[in-house]
Amino acid sequence: MDLIVISLVLVVFMLLMLALGVWVSLSLVSVGVLGLMLIDNGQIGLLFGTTSWGASTNWTLTALPMFIWMGEVLFRTRLAADLFEGLTPWLSRLPGKLLHVNVLSCGIFAAVSGSSAATAATIGRMTLPELKKAGYSDRMSIGTLAGSGTLGLLIPPSIILIVYGVAAEVSISRLFIAGALPGLMLVFLFMGYIIVWALLNKDQVPQKDTIELSLAMKLKTLKKLLPILGLIGFVLGSIYGGFTTPTEAAALGVFGALLLAFFTGTLNLSTFSASLLGAVKSSCMIGLILVGAHFLTLAMGFLGIPRALAASIGNLDLTVFQLLAYLTLLFVILGCFLDGISVVVLTVSVVMPVIEQAGIDLLWFGIYIVLVVEMSQITPPVGFNLFVIQSLTGKNILYIARAALPFFLLILLALILIYIFPGIATYLPYSMTQH
Amino acid sequence: MYSYKDRLYLASGYLSGLSIIIIMVVVLAQIVGRMIGYIVPSAEDISGYCLAASIFFGLAYTFRDGGHIRVTLLIQNLPPKARFVQEFIVLSIGLLAASFICWYIWYMVWESYIFEELTQGYIPMPLWAVQLPLGLGSTGFLLAMLDAMATMFRGGLPNYTHHEDQVPMEDL
Repeated sequence: MDLIVISLVLVVFMLLMLALGVWVSLSLVSVGVLGLMLIDNGQIGLLFGTTSWGASTNWTLTALPMFIWMGEVLFRTRLAADLFEGLTPWLSRLPGKLLHVNVLSCGIFAAVSGSSAATAATIGRMTLPELKKAGYSDRMSIGTLAGSGTLGLLIPPSIILIVYGVAAEVSISRLFIAGALPGLMLVFLFMGYIIVWALLNKDQVPQKDTIELSLAMKLKTLKKLLPILGLIGFVLGSIYGGFTTPTEAAALGVFGALLLAFFTGTLNLSTFSASLLGAVKSSCMIGLILVGAHFLTLAMGFLGIPRALAASIGNLDLTVFQLLAYLTLLFVILGCFLDGISVVVLTVSVVMPVIEQAGIDLLWFGIYIVLVVEMSQITPPVGFNLFVIQSLTGKNILYIARAALPFFLLILLALILIYIFPGIATYLPYSMTQH
Repeated sequence: MYSYKDRLYLASGYLSGLSIIIIMVVVLAQIVGRMIGYIVPSAEDISGYCLAASIFFGLAYTFRDGGHIRVTLLIQNLPPKARFVQEFIVLSIGLLAASFICWYIWYMVWESYIFEELTQGYIPMPLWAVQLPLGLGSTGFLLAMLDAMATMFRGGLPNYTHHEDQVPMEDL
């Protein structure tokens, strides 16, 4: 059969399965099987056996359940409340005041949990009622939460960067280093926007001053932030300093999180097993998707589709900018139906040769694709953060999407910035890991 | 309080959790070992095998809890009858895929056993033994699919559909 016909059959088959509601992981496996059947490969089952063994015993992938578990432990502690109480006194001078607490709490929480939905849910449950009580506009409270909830995807340690790193065979330590500056840049973009907005809309920000605390009191609230900042500093520091691999840092992180939960009195048998089972659910789901993706990648290789695609796109003589623009469009459309991890693994199994051929740095591309996925988290109809906030506030999903629109545009701005200045993503990893 | 079936699903979850705990312990031992100048043999291999075990052991538990993600956008508003038919088709495909996975994983384990293959790490171990959790886990996955199918034959929607429309952290 002609390669174009085969590709079309597979694409249609994949879309049908997904639309029907077949699990993403099993859809990937089925498409792989069908593809190999179409070229009369006689060893489909054997190939599946060896790839699933290879994919699921990958040492770098062991960081995944560790980081997920660490997040699960931490959001059963008083962390969200501590962040809120610890940050508030320090931000009361900035125009927009409490709104910044949303952004910074999300940023810090994102650093430990790695999941965007968990970040939005945990922080939102804490901050939204407080913001409402203080008289902030609903729309801005929801918008800041939706936008900064996505920080969880980029700020290391990030689950989706681990998935990308494993699938595209890029060093996870380097990806984590690369994610740091773009993540900080997003935080500053969000906070800058809030300041400008607060100055322009003075009527929507409560003007009555929050009680000015003395410096001693402020320092006392800072103590609430110390354990968590210490944990983050320790985990990221040991990766950035090159002392440990991401997996080792993650294991230390879980251990630290358990200690922290123990000393704050929130660790008991039921929270321990709840956190463990929560980690099982997420890592098992992602693990099976990776097994499916690995098999699909192999099947695609046998079929020669990625190579053919790379060749035909190469003939089009697209500039890098055009290529990225088309890809972004494709990802945003995919992201309307699929979650971020599925988008990443699907892309990696088909598009990678195209990216390499265009001379795009794979490290940079990882950061780029995560930013695009962040955008898709807050676009309807399927934006996970939108769902989370919907269930927190009971507001209509379109209302939430509109509230999040400015932040969508800010992420787009960040995307353009790292396109123009790729060094934002690549400078640190390449200068820190010369040796 | 729990039926024997619930216990099996929970066992699937806890076996997977146990594997995750072992990964943590092994990796921590490796770090401590490095500080005191002792190399934990095959630490990376062992945590890799535990990772595979945790992924496969957890399949049944995750499946029943609606943890495996899928696109529910188009199906969530179907009228009940159409939804039932759609879910039946999806589950049939799932059953087929799970049978394929289960069969060939066991085939791989069997081959490792027949050819007496050993793992390649520092401590050679029989390969079939470390692959065994994959076989057991994928069998559990298949049984969970059959269980869901049995629910459908009794006229109800499978258990996994009850949880997936909720926010992932329903206990928050």
